[in-house]
Amino acid sequence: MEKKLSEMEFDEEGTIKEIEETLRKQVAGMGIREGKNIRMATKQPIKGPIVVEVDKSFTSLGLGVAEKIVVEV
Amino acid sequence: MKILLMGHPNVGKSVFFNRLTGAKVMESNYPGTTVDFMKGWMRLEGEDVELIDVPGAFSLEPKDRAEEVAVEMLEKNRDSVVVCVLDASKVERGLYLALEIIERGYPVVVALNMWDVAEDKNIKIEVEKLERILGVPVVPTTAISGEGFKELVSKIKEAAPVKIEKIIESASGVNVATSAGEGGGESAAVCG
Repeated sequence: MEKKLSEMEFDEEGTIKEIEETLRKQVAGMGIREGKNIRMATKQPIKGPIVVEVDKSFTSLGLGVAEKIVVEV
Repeated sequence: MKILLMGHPNVGKSVFFNRLTGAKVMESNYPGTTVDFMKGWMRLEGEDVELIDVPGAFSLEPKDRAEEVAVEMLEKNRDSVVVCVLDASKVERGLYLALEIIERGYPVVVALNMWDVAEDKNIKIEVEKLERILGVPVVPTTAISGEGFKELVSKIKEAAPVKIEKIIESASGVNVATSAGEGGGESAAVCG
């Protein structure tokens, strides 16, 4: 099933399926690229940022960014 | 010749700078300490060369002021050798930046810094294999204790530009880092 990264549950894992064109280069340097495994490590309330784990390292993303990433779970 | 120290935020570039030049620029254990660049001099085989501590950047597509400075420094100093400092415990990310710099035609030496941290996390990196794939010198270092620095300095003169196509060719289907333990520590942020 496909869903937005921002909609993933805590500790849920998935594979990055699609990243919005405008964002692709911005997050690539942090290891977030299509085909990568990703795990939701922390979710903050009230539209706060999320923390994801990719390749054993943690990256925090604004919710606006997370909404533009599609994940296959 | 100039030497540029480049790498992600919080990988130890400033500790490198201080060790190599004997200067005392601010170091701290969180990202983004160096926003502007620092210049210093070091001795390399009896010659004084300029060393520049570039602010941390995730990629060469600038998203903030520090990254803009980083890209500017790189473009203004076409004749420099780039020492690309990576966090050995997050090597995949760091290599992305290293490849971007190599792609632009700069001679690069890769320093796998925080080697002690990677060892603690049970991350094993096959240095020779990585060196073979990239075609540039790769040196494991631990900046805070000074381990690997002699080797690193001796490799600076060996650095030469490599064609990215060659790396793609030699990289097809190989994996150099294996990890057994859990990783830790948050280190990157994007807001939007």
